[in-house]
Amino acid sequence: MFDTRRRGARITLQILLTVAVIPFVIPLYAMVAKSLEGAGWGNYGAVLAVPGFFRFFLNSAIVSLGAIAIIYIATMMAAFGFSKLRIRNKELYFWLLMAALTLPEVVLIAPLYSTAVALGLLGTFWSVILPIAALQIPFTILIARGFVDNIPDTLFEAARLDGAGTWRLFWSVLLPMSRPIAASLIVLVLINAWNSYLLPKVFLVNDDMGVVTLLPEFFKRQYNDDIPKVLAAAVVTAIPTILAYVLLQRQFERGMAAGAIK
Amino acid sequence: MVPVGFDNYVDALGNPIFWTAIVNTLVYFVVVFAVQVLGGVLFAAALHSKVHLANLYKVIIVIPVVVAPATFAPAHVQVWQSDGTVNRILDALGLGALAQSWIGQSTTSLLVVILVGCWGSIGFGFILYFGAMTQIDPEMLEAGRMDGAGNLRVLFSLVLPSVRPITISLAILNFITALKLFDNVWLITQGGPAHSSEFLGTLIYSEVASTDRDLGYASALSMILLVIAVAVSVVMQMRSRERTPRTPILTKRKAEPDV
Repeated sequence: MFDTRRRGARITLQILLTVAVIPFVIPLYAMVAKSLEGAGWGNYGAVLAVPGFFRFFLNSAIVSLGAIAIIYIATMMAAFGFSKLRIRNKELYFWLLMAALTLPEVVLIAPLYSTAVALGLLGTFWSVILPIAALQIPFTILIARGFVDNIPDTLFEAARLDGAGTWRLFWSVLLPMSRPIAASLIVLVLINAWNSYLLPKVFLVNDDMGVVTLLPEFFKRQYNDDIPKVLAAAVVTAIPTILAYVLLQRQFERGMAAGAIK
Repeated sequence: MVPVGFDNYVDALGNPIFWTAIVNTLVYFVVVFAVQVLGGVLFAAALHSKVHLANLYKVIIVIPVVVAPATFAPAHVQVWQSDGTVNRILDALGLGALAQSWIGQSTTSLLVVILVGCWGSIGFGFILYFGAMTQIDPEMLEAGRMDGAGNLRVLFSLVLPSVRPITISLAILNFITALKLFDNVWLITQGGPAHSSEFLGTLIYSEVASTDRDLGYASALSMILLVIAVAVSVVMQMRSRERTPRTPILTKRKAEPDV
């Protein structure tokens, strides 16, 4: 993009870029450096030896996979219906759904809490999975519908002529055709669900149900603010996500880009 | 619970802390959005040029976007606290006089939250601009250069206008993010000291979580936030309707020429 045909320009650009990246490295460096203070690598040993440490990762996986499953099914069916089926007043329903597009979760904490109590879901993963899924579905439907709108109707009509029913159209035409958008949405939902903090903080108060975003607070309690160990825990928590990103860069970037085609 | 009519709303709107939260939200939005666009475009352009270690730099810039804010929050506290990294860097540069308790004083706590916000969102702008720039016709840039435009001129007069849809999306997304900001604020400053870095999210949460909670007041605040959020999503919808049919950038279709 920049003209770097002259050697001077190339070197200048490289230097400027490196300087600009430094602020990004500072917190990462501070985190790792501080985590090695005191007991050194022993901090990591202590963190990994805490009983129930891996349970946090397992719980995050349960929450994320649960949310992904619900969102995938609901989104694909809704996108199919809104885009390709004749349903009375469907645009009205679509608008109602879109009103929830920017719903901030913090305004829902109190009502969700009483709902969870009323349904007896408190203390279960459902109390987190269902709101996480519900809050993202309007957005995923908006994106998926945009994609399905671009699949030609003739494809569905042809299948219809061959005797396929609505269910068959969904299963054998829509799902395979919408695989690219589904992959992006799944990555996006995975990042959001894995990183969600407020809902688990409110609903998963039990330590053996904690998710990874609650680990720093868990270790603060566990170690009475022994900062090096808290940061060692943060490093261990960040590594899987960073590895996943490095290995799946393209998918991550597409998933996040899906967030901008509103 | 006794119905109090609109008293809760009157209380909310008459509460100076509420207005601090609103002003903080606006300041956060304006600064983070500006930095994200500028930083995102510059990094995207730089990494589209011939540079060494491009992929390493890219990963470093994007890490703050993919890892949970809650995970990095202890690191930011470490960076900004009194004996933290920033003050030590200032000392080393001979600027020890500038060292201060960044998180602990009400004049700088919002600055910390905003800078952490910038740190976490430039990478997102970068990803979007980087993707959009692959679709820009190199001949157009070449033509600009022939006309004597320098690098920055090409970037801001040719590249930035052709990725304008991304910039608009970022504006909306940032506004929503600022409205519901919670994780970083709560874990770094808790909205303090003396409510100087208060946001709507932290205001509502601390009302709900405190021992002398006033759920009516919290609900009034929630409704105000909800109205703003729904209004934004309606505007967003109208905008996306105006532009249909729009080719999603994910369909790998050939780039439409931006007019």
